Amino acid sequence: MTRLGFVIDKKSCIACHACAVACKVENNLPDGIWWNRILTEGGDNMDTPDGTYPNLTMANIAVACQHCDNPACVKVCPVGATYKDPDTGAVRQDYDKCIGCRMCMSACPYTGVRSFNWEEPNYAIGQAMGDADVPTHQKHVVEKCTMCWHRLAKGLEPACVEVCPARVRYFGDFDDPNSEVSKLIREREHTKLLENRGTNPSVYYLV
Amino acid sequence: MSENNRATTSPKAPAARFGGKGLNVGIAVAAIVTVVGLVLWGVQLSGGLAQTGMRNFDSWGLYITCFMFLVGLSAGGLIISSVPKAFGMKGFGGISKVAVWTSICCTVLAIGFVVVDLGQPLRLWELFAYSNLGSPLMWDIAVIAIYLILSVIYLWATLRAEAGKVSQKALRVVSVIALVCAVLVHSVTAWIFGLQQAHEFWYTALLAPWFVTSALVCGTALVLVVVIALRKAGYMELAQENVVKMAKMLGAFVCVDLYFFACDLLTSAFPGGSGTEVVDMLVSGPLAPFFWVEIAGCALAAVVCFVPKLRTNPLLVAAGLLAIIGIFCKRVQLLVGGFQIPNIDYAGVMTQYSVTDWAAGMAGAYQGMVYWPTPLEFGVALGVFGLGALMLLLGLKFLPLKPNENSH
Repeated sequence: MTRLGFVIDKKSCIACHACAVACKVENNLPDGIWWNRILTEGGDNMDTPDGTYPNLTMANIAVACQHCDNPACVKVCPVGATYKDPDTGAVRQDYDKCIGCRMCMSACPYTGVRSFNWEEPNYAIGQAMGDADVPTHQKHVVEKCTMCWHRLAKGLEPACVEVCPARVRYFGDFDDPNSEVSKLIREREHTKLLENRGTNPSVYYLV
Repeated sequence: MSENNRATTSPKAPAARFGGKGLNVGIAVAAIVTVVGLVLWGVQLSGGLAQTGMRNFDSWGLYITCFMFLVGLSAGGLIISSVPKAFGMKGFGGISKVAVWTSICCTVLAIGFVVVDLGQPLRLWELFAYSNLGSPLMWDIAVIAIYLILSVIYLWATLRAEAGKVSQKALRVVSVIALVCAVLVHSVTAWIFGLQQAHEFWYTALLAPWFVTSALVCGTALVLVVVIALRKAGYMELAQENVVKMAKMLGAFVCVDLYFFACDLLTSAFPGGSGTEVVDMLVSGPLAPFFWVEIAGCALAAVVCFVPKLRTNPLLVAAGLLAIIGIFCKRVQLLVGGFQIPNIDYAGVMTQYSVTDWAAGMAGAYQGMVYWPTPLEFGVALGVFGLGALMLLLGLKFLPLKPNENSH
């Protein structure tokens, strides 16, 4: 079995948003759509700490689809438009099948990782960006991180992993004990998002 | 009771008083509202759901609230008419056909609200081609379809039984099946929400029985209001004894529903953990107006139903309406309340598609109610209700729903 996923080093993330932008360009995301977002664990606003000086805490956390091993979204989709790819463990979305009921968005515990095209997609510039193999975005369907499926097919890593200047993102197979990601989660302390929900995400955060 | 009914149900006199110009005007108005709703739905589909208040973090809104509400409303008619038959008890004086017809109208409306909520209504056929039988939404579609068909069969069987073409025994069998199906419909609708561990407020085993009692409350209330109104309009005669019986039932259902709410609040709040957030949100937070209208409305309705002196027609209608409004407020609390507490509330990039009030950032968006409908949503919803009114009135005009000597 293969279970592809990410390891993200929260300790070293500098919140440059390069992975978010790389994702947006690579996947030709419409205006207002971000599949991958850098959140601030801290104050009420981005890049602000929590607490009062000198006792301040702040951390950065990149959040996208967690490609769960036990995905809540897949269970509730009435037509199987969102499904788990058995060969890679990626949670995928079929734009042509999606009826736009948005139950997956409601069922997913990871607030905001799924996005809906609430109107005809608009783009910042007149021509499509990113990879030519990215499926065309459609109005009124749900979409989300694809693990850069089109790049995996070519043997490439996801765009967010390749672009990260601080090298905090790792990608690989958790079922292969010799992979870099498996070693990292063996050797380093880590957490997963909302572990108590039992979704068993394939994104590990080093802390 | 049956003598009373027979004595007062002269087939000619009410017919002379009911209908005519008023009914036709009603049908015309309902038809216009329906057409306007259809046009607005077209606007919503062509311009996009961005014109609604729904967004990524609060992906459902008024339509799904109304869906929940109408599935509940549809219960009453069927249950009121099938329970006496199923258990071989005395009925409610010939109202069963009107009651089932309101059920059928409400079920059609519930389906209508799901359809207007969909982004891709033209792909509805996929539900049958690619059904994921593990999805609670699929269960609901199946059980609502069966429920609708059964309601129609039940109405038909009632009419045939009155004509002596279907035996009382067969009618009783149909009524038992319909009753089981009604309970299933509310449970499965609850599971659409109650099986989502993503939302603390929804994820409780109590949700399904609670949906059944809420359905009984607003369903009974609707039948009570409709029959008192129809009696007033001269469509049918009904002994006050039957109205009182229904009022007592309504009072009992309201008490059970409030009891369930109290159980849920206590279980959430007692450990003092994250459940306290849910209780705060309802009792003193953004949803407090809806919470207190429900509690006060339901409590008042119960008082009217239980105090014999207060059981006058105007007060009973008021109690029925208060119960219906109360349950609608409960549906709003459930739907918006589910989205009101985000699991991940860290500050991040927000866009016009993130959340209804996105400009104020993550913290600002949840200050008040996270979701509020736009005028377009109200318009489309009104259109769907117009369709229901149209169906109801057309049924009253053209279907043989009036009580007769063989009704019971």
